[in-house]
Amino acid sequence: MEANPPVVTVRFNKFLPYWAVFLTDLRQTARSWVYRLWVLMTVAAAAGLLLYKVGLHKEAGMFQSAAAQSGDLFRVMVVGSLALVVVLAVSAISAERGTVADSVLSRGISRHQYFLAKWHARLVVVTATFAALACLVLLATYFLFKDDAQSDLSLVGGLAAVLAVCAVLAAIVSWGVTIGALTNTTVLGITVFWLVLYGSGFLLSLLPEPWPSPERQLARLKFVLQGQYNPAVLTQLLVASAAACVGAATVGLLGFSKRDV
Amino acid sequence: MAEAAELVVETQHLTKIYQNRQIALNDVSLSIEPGCVLGLLGPNGAGKTTFLRLVLGLHRPTAGWAKVFKQTMSPNAADLRRRIGYIPTNPQFPKGMTPIVYLDYIARLFGLPADVRKPKLATLIRAVDLLPHSGDSIAHFTPGMTARLAVAASLINEPDLLIWDEPTHGLDIEARRSMLELIKRLASEKTLIISSHNLSDVDEVCNHACVLNKGQMIFHGSLQDLKGRIRKNHYELDLDGDQKAITKTVQAVRAMKDVTHAVLRHRRLEIKLGDETPNALVLAQLFQTLADHKVTLITVRSVGMQTEQAYLDLVEKEEGRGFARLYQSAEAA
Repeated sequence: MEANPPVVTVRFNKFLPYWAVFLTDLRQTARSWVYRLWVLMTVAAAAGLLLYKVGLHKEAGMFQSAAAQSGDLFRVMVVGSLALVVVLAVSAISAERGTVADSVLSRGISRHQYFLAKWHARLVVVTATFAALACLVLLATYFLFKDDAQSDLSLVGGLAAVLAVCAVLAAIVSWGVTIGALTNTTVLGITVFWLVLYGSGFLLSLLPEPWPSPERQLARLKFVLQGQYNPAVLTQLLVASAAACVGAATVGLLGFSKRDV
Repeated sequence: MAEAAELVVETQHLTKIYQNRQIALNDVSLSIEPGCVLGLLGPNGAGKTTFLRLVLGLHRPTAGWAKVFKQTMSPNAADLRRRIGYIPTNPQFPKGMTPIVYLDYIARLFGLPADVRKPKLATLIRAVDLLPHSGDSIAHFTPGMTARLAVAASLINEPDLLIWDEPTHGLDIEARRSMLELIKRLASEKTLIISSHNLSDVDEVCNHACVLNKGQMIFHGSLQDLKGRIRKNHYELDLDGDQKAITKTVQAVRAMKDVTHAVLRHRRLEIKLGDETPNALVLAQLFQTLADHKVTLITVRSVGMQTEQAYLDLVEKEEGRGFARLYQSAEAA
């Protein structure tokens, strides 16, 4: 009598599906035209503005402090990036709705893992890219306006400014991914998200001084870059951003796990 | 009736209404036993894909439930989906991937560790004949190659249940034949649910059928039961021999009391027997008559494709029930 073949039990790695979606989304986002356009536009706009300021400084003798120039650049980068960051965030899940999502979600992955992987991937892509671009801008400003920058720009202030902007972007990306997961199409998701962003920005601008209005915060960046900031306020901003991210993720996790794909 | 413990899929009162606008599936209760190859039939918009998506947990039922391997399916039931292999209609893949990258991705989605998934994906790529294209981008694949890749992806986790939504859709004759042969081979070891418009495919590979029409299940049972419902006793015979002998034969056939209709067109004889007539006896007499007149019988066949005829009869009957549809028909029950 033949002996039965040994039963081989495969041990499934429960976190592997999360990593698979996370890494694949990182790669695919980096290859997407929206991401490339964002990076290209930001680099081109920053380089153009810097060269313009250098020209003004060298040729016309008009002088602006390094911190003020970096602050202006940061503002241009944030406002200019917003449209494409919104598209990147909202399209994370909604763009795959249909047969591509079918071929992923019909495998051994839960909705929770899928949402978390997509959310984390877009968070990492957007914040890491913005942080890298902002650091490049700071370095370029430092070396182009070295004499002034040595007295004007602060390393800690620069890091604080980058951290603050990244925290705000993280909250924006989190709500973008959540809205994309809860709406039926990418176009609808982008529309809804723009309404939410503009609406909340407008409402915040109506509120008195202690409340953070986007305009006021962006205008203050040059002081932060000079190292003139209150660590308690920065901490509050980081905590508020983290709370907004967690809130968005909770809504997204609960909502997406109940939706049809 | 099979014990509940043995069932691979079980649904009770499964209903799906999209946004209170479209009733895609209406009160479907069925059970699928291990080893069953179920053909899911129905016209466009009948609810076949909705049913499959509910079984997979891609959609949530509006009412009722679907159990797979005795556990209720839900969007977060990843453990259950690890035992299922799925091919959607017109499968699409993430852009910029090669077959190796895609299958590795799918295997990781099932949580398969590297020492298991790497050899398996290599074996599958060889098995589905994609080895020469393993480094090519999926975006440039033909429908046949795409279908083969989808098959490999659905088998990479060695599933117990295969759910294939129109697997022969858009395939050429050769690819379709390969697909049907594969289904036949898999049928010996797995449970399959195959949705198809092509009734001859279902006829060839399935042993059970479920017919949906406008979201309602109008038949569920074995393929033999489905065929047993068709109008029987309608045959065509291709004859050869002397024309006078054939004419005499036809006259003799017409004289047989159980033959209600006999028409000769060229050398093809079409006959109909009475509904309740035992066909074997009459056909035996008929063959004897042919032999007596020295007429050669080239072919004999039952008119119409049996499954197709049965399916059309069912749908027609359901449409004709009018308000009686309020009550479950005997077939569905």
